Amino acid sequence: MRIVVAEDLFLLRDGLVRLLDAHGFEIAAAVEDAPGLLTALIRERPDVAIVDVRLPPTFTDDGLRAAIEARRQVPGLPVLVLSQYVEQLYARELLADRAGGVGYLLKDRVFNDDQFVDAVRTVASGGTVMDAEVVTKLLSRRAREETLARLSAREREVLELMAEGRSNSAIAQRLFVTEKAVSKHSTSIFTKLDLVPSDDDNRRVLAVLAYLNG
Amino acid sequence: MSVHVQDLVLPVLAAVAVTVAVAIRVRAGGTEAAKGRRGRLRELAWCAALFVLSVIVMSSVSSLPGPGGLSSWWIAVPVVAAIIIICWPRVAARIVPVALIFYGLSGFVVARDFAVGGVINSYGLTPVGNPGFQADLILPQAYGLLLLGGWLVLRSADPVLVRARLRLGSIARAPLGEQLRTLALLPVVAVLAGMLAPRLWLAGGAALIVTAALVFGVLWVIRRWPARAAQLATAGLLCAGIAGLVIAAAWRGASTIDVEKCTSSAQPVPSQGSAQPVPSQGSAQPVPSPAASAQPKKPSFVPSAQPVYSKPVCVAMPPLFVGGGTAADVADVVWGQALPYGAVLVDSQHTADAAGVEGLALLALGTWLAPQTFPLVRRVLGGTPDRELTKRVELLTESRAVAVDTASADLRRLERDLHDGAQARLVALGMNLRAAERLIPTSPEAAIALVAEARKTSMMALMELRELVRGVLPPVLADRGFADAVRALALDSPLHVETDIDLPGRLPVPLETACYFAVAELLTNAAKHSGARDARIAIGHSGRFLRIEVTDFGLGGADPGKGSGLVGVERRLATFDGILAVSSPVGGPTMVVMEVPCALSSPKTSSC
Repeated sequence: MRIVVAEDLFLLRDGLVRLLDAHGFEIAAAVEDAPGLLTALIRERPDVAIVDVRLPPTFTDDGLRAAIEARRQVPGLPVLVLSQYVEQLYARELLADRAGGVGYLLKDRVFNDDQFVDAVRTVASGGTVMDAEVVTKLLSRRAREETLARLSAREREVLELMAEGRSNSAIAQRLFVTEKAVSKHSTSIFTKLDLVPSDDDNRRVLAVLAYLNG
Repeated sequence: MSVHVQDLVLPVLAAVAVTVAVAIRVRAGGTEAAKGRRGRLRELAWCAALFVLSVIVMSSVSSLPGPGGLSSWWIAVPVVAAIIIICWPRVAARIVPVALIFYGLSGFVVARDFAVGGVINSYGLTPVGNPGFQADLILPQAYGLLLLGGWLVLRSADPVLVRARLRLGSIARAPLGEQLRTLALLPVVAVLAGMLAPRLWLAGGAALIVTAALVFGVLWVIRRWPARAAQLATAGLLCAGIAGLVIAAAWRGASTIDVEKCTSSAQPVPSQGSAQPVPSQGSAQPVPSPAASAQPKKPSFVPSAQPVYSKPVCVAMPPLFVGGGTAADVADVVWGQALPYGAVLVDSQHTADAAGVEGLALLALGTWLAPQTFPLVRRVLGGTPDRELTKRVELLTESRAVAVDTASADLRRLERDLHDGAQARLVALGMNLRAAERLIPTSPEAAIALVAEARKTSMMALMELRELVRGVLPPVLADRGFADAVRALALDSPLHVETDIDLPGRLPVPLETACYFAVAELLTNAAKHSGARDARIAIGHSGRFLRIEVTDFGLGGADPGKGSGLVGVERRLATFDGILAVSSPVGGPTMVVMEVPCALSSPKTSSC
């Protein structure tokens, strides 16, 4: 699996490259600024890009804007955005094209390399991974509850974990239920959110998008 | 007094009916807004005021001459008032001040009709056809009602009136004294216009456009150049005061003036409207003229349609009009029966005396105001310190103290948070790692557990640092500026927040940070205390001011004085010369408006 990494701090870039290397990923390019990222993405067409939000030249949200621009030019290009902060505003902008293959995580999630590598794979395969912090904030909004009022408490829990990019088996483990129960819940979620039967992965993405975009 | 009993029957009946209706309504618990005994009493008072006003308006207007049967239709005015009182009692507090202003203005029309055509209509306490009262009471009432209405609008807490008031710009939230000095331009212009151009001021037809243009022009000047408006008002007061003295003096000295010249050129002015002139009660000798005898005589009560008071008037002219025809010519065109001078209709010796007294009062007021509005006068007079400047220095001293306090408190908080949070965690992290180091050879299992704990501690430290940075300078604000930062706030709020942001450029960095934290504080307040589910943030920029409106649709009743955090927000905004106004009627909605003077930097040349 080929990856483009964009991170301006040398230490972190080096650490990321080494971590990914150790898990058998191929690093197509490791860049340090937004213009470099855009050219690398267009040229290399990687399986997934890992992008820091704050990049040179302006050190604001250049990375995010470059990622969104790249996805405009190469629709569905999987992008996993890393940041010291997660903002719902940025999450919405990333999800706005409803194409899936999007991740948005806090940088410290890298500490847990197994989960991080899972997230990279989920995004590369077109899934959606949102940081638990974004998901928790969304849950605390009362307005959100109205649109998802049809779901039971357990179903909402399952959807929340789905939004964090977890697989059915990971969700089962987390909730101390069988995997079969989880898939039963997810089928019920799909029905309640009016998602027509198609391949399970696609419906998963759509359910998560419905949940996150409201 | 010759009020006919039958004139009072309908109003009294209607008053009784509506009072009963209101009493029933109030007994049933009042509206949600009128909580408590005082609230209910206040609502009742507004409703009663509305009804009394409607009856007065009806009895005034119904006496106007018109096609037969018209007058009885005016009973609809109190009926409409009654419907409003019963269905929307809260609206009474909004209608009464505005209605007072309009009724006050209509007094000028009544006075003008008298001044120009000798027609006397019923107005307020002055009933129709009562020569005892004459027109002496019309103008004082008109000014009284106008000022009362204006005062009520200035002090009202009604959201619609508050919003209308805010349209006046910076003056809307200036101290009361400054407001009055500036808004004085309106009555001063009314006095001068009523005196100099009664045919154009508040007359019908095209003249109405002139009046409207004059009023809106004055309001525009007040909004655009408040300081200039105050100066104009002062200058106007001085001019009007001098004119009053001249009128009084001219009347006394009239006998020594060449009366013949004045009267011969002062031709009769056709009376306006179809009304019949009422005999004037003036004590100045009427001067018969050939023109008067040519007019059809109304045997009972019209001795002469001749403008008999042109004599003193034409003497008063020279100081007022410099150049442009003889004084008498102008007097001829401008006035007929009487000269409206402020609150006095000058048509006799005693009214001329009253005009002199009023002129003195206006002169005194103008002289008193001059040092306050004209810095030059203040400087020439010397001695007394510049009040504006003193006030500004006081304000700056206070806001600087707040800024310094805030900055040092913020630094202290930052230090404490770092000390107790991230720093402590890093110490723990170091200790854990050292312990793990020692344990690796002997018991690797325990070492692994310690390292895992160290990883958790580092995550906690990161989380705390993140929160800390968010409190100092939120990332979206740093990345994208104020507009997107507020949108991000709206998304993060537990309330459903609608945003309407229109900012063509970027704000100066210190200002956008202050405004961001102000909005954040208000949203937190709304989420905690208002009980609202929905809120709205509107942000716009009007050339010189940034305007932020935060509205929550909750319980209302927020008191800025009671430690609701609003005081802190206001104090911090004061550093930027910003102001904050709160409208929070019981029952909601709560609207907080902030205005800060600032210039936008264009997006391209942003120095932020």
